[in-house]
Amino acid sequence: MLGGWIDNYTQSVLIFTGINIIAAYSFFAPFKTGQVSLGQAGFMAVGAYASAVLTQKFGFPFIVSLPVAGLFAGIVGVMVGFPALRIRGVYLLLLTLGFAEIVQVIVLSWDYVGGAQGYRNIPFNPNTLGYVAVVIIALIVFFGRLERASLGRAMDSIHQDETAAEAMGIDVVRIKLFAFGAGAVIAGIAGGLYAHQATYIDSTTFNVMLAVEILTYVVVGGGSTYWGPLAGATVLTLLPEFLRTLREWLELVPVAWTDFFPMNRIYDFLYGFLDFENAKRLIVYGLILILMMIVRPDGLVTRDSLMRLHFLRWTARHA
Amino acid sequence: MIYQQIVNGLMLGASYSLVAIGYTLIFGVLNLLYFAHGEVFMVGAFVGLFLVTHAGFGIFGALIGAMIACAVLGVIAVFVAIRPVAKDRPLAPLISSIGLTIVLQNVFVYFIGGQQLSFPETISQTLYRFGPVTVSSSQIFVLVIAISLMALLWLFIEHSKLGRAIRATAENHETAALLGVDVNRVVLITFIIGSGIAGIAGVLDGIKNSNISPFMGLGAAVKGLIVMLLGGLGNVPGAMVAGLLLGMIEILSAAYIGTTERDLFSFLILILILLYKPTGLFGTRTVEGR
Repeated sequence: MLGGWIDNYTQSVLIFTGINIIAAYSFFAPFKTGQVSLGQAGFMAVGAYASAVLTQKFGFPFIVSLPVAGLFAGIVGVMVGFPALRIRGVYLLLLTLGFAEIVQVIVLSWDYVGGAQGYRNIPFNPNTLGYVAVVIIALIVFFGRLERASLGRAMDSIHQDETAAEAMGIDVVRIKLFAFGAGAVIAGIAGGLYAHQATYIDSTTFNVMLAVEILTYVVVGGGSTYWGPLAGATVLTLLPEFLRTLREWLELVPVAWTDFFPMNRIYDFLYGFLDFENAKRLIVYGLILILMMIVRPDGLVTRDSLMRLHFLRWTARHA
Repeated sequence: MIYQQIVNGLMLGASYSLVAIGYTLIFGVLNLLYFAHGEVFMVGAFVGLFLVTHAGFGIFGALIGAMIACAVLGVIAVFVAIRPVAKDRPLAPLISSIGLTIVLQNVFVYFIGGQQLSFPETISQTLYRFGPVTVSSSQIFVLVIAISLMALLWLFIEHSKLGRAIRATAENHETAALLGVDVNRVVLITFIIGSGIAGIAGVLDGIKNSNISPFMGLGAAVKGLIVMLLGGLGNVPGAMVAGLLLGMIEILSAAYIGTTERDLFSFLILILILLYKPTGLFGTRTVEGR
């Protein structure tokens, strides 16, 4: 599918962007009720290993193993979410971090799934791009409907004030547990998709840094609307590609403009800095995170900016 | 055998304590998980290495140099990633400190490369025997420096005017400000102290493990978080004791149960503490909501 008119490189960039978007939505679901989780990488690991074991050791087709992996991650999620109901804020952050680390240790020491050597030879799925697209569309439709449904409004009210929500008769325990479990299901699906695209996973694939990245996708994109995770994950994942384009633009600058003393040094520095090397890319990434939090602490897409968009459309229609 | 393991545990725990003290000080005054603290520890180790190998400093020079460099780094962090960021959104300073973490780690990866560097032997190695226990001179050095640093800090926090201001700010920002404490200054000083101690901890870790890498910060950060929680968020003496305790638990579980289970144990402790005793072992205040 699609393979005919997109080259392999673009296709894999699109797939990993898509998986990051799905992972961002997995963080967004519990975040909608105010639960900040650093454990989404752990749920991704559960889903990835579950799906890999099902296809490779038991011969299930991918289309069966993926939802089962999501379901399995969801069950684990509810098991983690139950004790997590009692705590919030920094404590919840640390609890979920601890869960993700424990998943890593278990994977590392369990020889059935490869142990320290990692899990090799996971069957490659040629249609991952299609699956990713379907899942993302389903998620956007789901969260879009949720925004206007009573369940979604209940989640928002829990986010704003849990005690007040409870006093209004909202079943806080059930909704928070549902949100946490839903996040784990989505993360499990993201993990399953990843496993069958990369064909190799080990205990460091789903580490703390990945969980932190997922968190930054949502905060940078904006956690107040369901477009935020999509925007954040897309922008931050495609950033290195964009940096490389910047370098090509730099080559378009006429030589005469940069051929004297201070400019040629600056040009050489910039040109050298904008290559594809990982450390430099990450330095820029970190600087952009800091800058974002100073300039737009609510994220790229906020409720206000969406309202303004709606207002523009409304005025255009009724002018 | 068991005495030897307890001494080894104290050694490991001493560096956990030093990292966790900075965490807990900063958490106390800002209610912020300062993610970049582990990287400050890493920077300290590299500054120490540079001073010893390239500038010909002795070990004390390296310790003091690393402390000063990291204190400066703490000031930079406050002005770049803490002060300009909105305070009414709890996640914003967390993300900006994550950004700082990524920048610091990769600046060192860029200039030094991802490999480990060996830390030169700065203290002549002699082994001492006390009954069943064998300790090397560098182990004694690390332990003495760490313990005396903690004692000094404890005296400072409990008995100086500035220490009282830090404790007052940790208790309540508004009240402290009303009573004439310059909160911004207290935050800055807290960062200077915490980062300086992390710098010293980095050099001590280099002496103890005899190699350092740009990726050593993340592990230290995660262990520091566990220790901070174990001691009670914002509780400085608690962090000191909890660090030593966690070090001993890890070494003992590695010796008698297995090395892969070692990390499992520290995270299980983290989860149990969170669920059953979120105030930490020593029962300090809880932080709701943030």
